[in-house]
Amino acid sequence: MNAEATTNNQKRNSVLTWLFNPFYYLAGGQSLAMGIVVLGLCCLFGMITNSHFDGVLDFHVGAEAPWWFFWLESPIDWLIMGILLFIGGKLLSKSKVRAIDVFGTQALARFPALLMVLTQLPPVVRTAALRVSNTMLKMSPQLAPQADNGIADASALDVVLFGGSVLLVLVMLVWMLVLMYRAYAVSCNVKGAKAILLFIGLLLVGEIVSKIIILGILSASGL
Amino acid sequence: MVDQMLPRLCPSCGATLLVKRLACRQCETLVEGRFDLPLLARLEPEEQAFLLNLLETSGSLKGLARTYGVSYPTVRNRLDALREKVRVMCEADSTQEDVR
Repeated sequence: MNAEATTNNQKRNSVLTWLFNPFYYLAGGQSLAMGIVVLGLCCLFGMITNSHFDGVLDFHVGAEAPWWFFWLESPIDWLIMGILLFIGGKLLSKSKVRAIDVFGTQALARFPALLMVLTQLPPVVRTAALRVSNTMLKMSPQLAPQADNGIADASALDVVLFGGSVLLVLVMLVWMLVLMYRAYAVSCNVKGAKAILLFIGLLLVGEIVSKIIILGILSASGL
Repeated sequence: MVDQMLPRLCPSCGATLLVKRLACRQCETLVEGRFDLPLLARLEPEEQAFLLNLLETSGSLKGLARTYGVSYPTVRNRLDALREKVRVMCEADSTQEDVR
């Protein structure tokens, strides 16, 4: 292999590493600071676009809520997964696991969530989602009474916009899952089938616990 | 003059090489025998450089992370993998000595 090809390979590997395992380069306080900014922006844009992260892996758009509720959802998701993966890492890893690495990398791993919420920033996307969901309600005989007749039926453009944004959100969700796993693998020094199974298990527990807490706060505040 | 790398493994069967002959730089006296390569000399060149860099940073993993431009857990994971490799090599050495 010539020197130029080696350099190109190294550059490509470096870009892939930054995309799918930035924790190779960033962890600890640095990733925590960047991750907190990411979480803050998720909350801010969530508030602007009425987007909710009402569970570790949940993303829903449209439901009205008081401003403070948007500032709780993402931090709760992050803290729950951070606590669970820190405990899981301590149990599984032979290395010295630092809390700041686990929480810092998990916060930064939620970067794709920021892109998810940004897909909802153009009002035309939110209008399309509203029209498509309302049209689907009208088409169902059982759910038709819940439909709002004041909202126009979805056009072909609405369907394309809605479909495109759903697809983008799904891609971001998969990317976020990859980052969350890599964050846990690097910060806890774990790998192999055991690590993957534990991660999946903790993800499911995290989803249930975060959902219960977020819905609990919602019902306790009388919303 | 090009620095020659110390060969560690047999190019034919892949087993660890022994030192059979040593020469004095000054009077060219030759010493023959069966000498095992020291454990550190049997590590990969990058691993040897990693350990030297660790010494240079006085054992600070944070310093080492800065030297390599990677995160703290990345160097900690590399060090833990190296510790495990050395442990396995030591175990293999002691098993071989028991056989002898």
